[in-house]
Amino acid sequence: MSTVTNMQTHPSYPELTRYLSKYPSSAGALFQTFNDITFAQKWTNVELVDLPNCQRAGIKGLRPSSDDGELPSTCIVLPCSLAESISTSYFSAAFTSLGESAPKQIYLAICAEDSSTVYYKIGKGIVKPSI
Amino acid sequence: MSLIQPSTQPKVSQKASGRRNENNKLYANPLPIIFAEEQSSAGVWHKALGLLLGVSLTRVLNPHCEGVFDATTRSVWVTDMKHAMTLWQRGFFGKGDLSRSEPSWLARQINARKQARTGLTSEEVTAKRRAERKQFKLDRAKAMAAAAAEAEAAFREEGRVISTVYSADGTRIIPSAATWKPSQTLPEPPRASSPTESEDEDDNDVPIENVEHLQLTLSEAFFLLWNLDCLSVTHPETGDALSLNQIWCAFQNAHVPSPSLSPNLDPPARRFDNPFLVNYVAYHHYKSLGWVVKNGIKFCVDYLLYKRGPVFSHAEFAIVVCPVYEDPADQESSPFQLQNTSPFSWSWLSTLNRVNAQVQKTLILSYVTIPARSRVPDTVLSSPACFNHYSVREVIVRRFIPARMRD
Repeated sequence: MSTVTNMQTHPSYPELTRYLSKYPSSAGALFQTFNDITFAQKWTNVELVDLPNCQRAGIKGLRPSSDDGELPSTCIVLPCSLAESISTSYFSAAFTSLGESAPKQIYLAICAEDSSTVYYKIGKGIVKPSI
Repeated sequence: MSLIQPSTQPKVSQKASGRRNENNKLYANPLPIIFAEEQSSAGVWHKALGLLLGVSLTRVLNPHCEGVFDATTRSVWVTDMKHAMTLWQRGFFGKGDLSRSEPSWLARQINARKQARTGLTSEEVTAKRRAERKQFKLDRAKAMAAAAAEAEAAFREEGRVISTVYSADGTRIIPSAATWKPSQTLPEPPRASSPTESEDEDDNDVPIENVEHLQLTLSEAFFLLWNLDCLSVTHPETGDALSLNQIWCAFQNAHVPSPSLSPNLDPPARRFDNPFLVNYVAYHHYKSLGWVVKNGIKFCVDYLLYKRGPVFSHAEFAIVVCPVYEDPADQESSPFQLQNTSPFSWSWLSTLNRVNAQVQKTLILSYVTIPARSRVPDTVLSSPACFNHYSVREVIVRRFIPARMRD
């Protein structure tokens, strides 16, 4: 039996409620991405970052070391829904909002209505992939 | 398959056929409702009654699953795990919101906590397979480099040419994927185990609360409740079961931007191009023909069609829903951002086709015609009868290479 009965009783709700109300158009994507990151992907030190230029909140956290042996690193995730149309200005806005401490690449999380979430790495300019 | 010589079957195919049989039993029912045949020991009177009055003796077993509507994520959540497994096992409806397919989050956490594998969940199987494949690729690269270096040295010093694929005694130098075995046990995929854990604590562990639910898309939920009547949807805040009319309004309103996170049960502005209606037409079209229809975001498409289900075989077809407005004026006045209403660019279509051809799926463009408001009165939108006015036509896209496809 799941202990969750609706969104308000979900354990993530208290932390998210402020941004769910502030940016209702991206509320579904934020909720879904936050849960995927904290419960399924098991990121740690997860906190929310307000990105008013993108009209949504981003998620910052420590990504655990992957199979490739990479060290845990702080990453930023920008949630969005499959139904939205996003242009590159969103990403420029995100990088500007994050300021000096912005990482080289951010992740875009695209959420579908069946709760599938796919992540894309977005970098500034042309980024050569690591071999 | 002969039953006479089970012991001569190689072990791998025994495992595979055992798993296949298990899957056939577990996923035997394609829909949540089951038709139970009356036992043959039913009395003569029962049968006579059936023959004379035309009364069917078959009982319909309805699991009566419950879900709760969530407007923010535009989905219906099934939080009772028994109902969730029923819907998953009988028709592959829904997806665990913290899992790849079947809700397995709690099982994965318990496995991780135990630190001992009694059974692998699908995510762990994939992680293991990926680690092994990586190891194979490293081994193969090393073997290729070594063979090339040896051939170079032999040619430089002695002037003779040796094969880089087969060694002198005829065995393969470079491993092939079919015959490679991991040389040592690979490091297990990293687990989130707490450092203070010890074996003594296994019995005293605080039970993990299951925060996962089965998420049904609005199309799946509407299919189950309208066609099969095996799902009831409740309001998230009041807990009351919603009537068909309220659901009809709430599902459409979920696509209308609103500052509130609560469901809106008022009748929506009547538009034929509401995304719920367009998506449902496509979903219903394929589902009613017997396909298992799942989301296709991983392959840049809208839907994937499975013949029996994800556990049996990979999806053969990838569907892109292309809504077409009968009246272009409706498109201009549309408050919704329907995707793919305008023609694709050739580069995007090629990309889509390439991605899907790479994974052996056939790309299908599914044109859903949106009726014109000028022709069809929008009063039909007050009930699901409006679906009669939509149509679905398919076009298959396949890349044609004249040089190679002559045979």
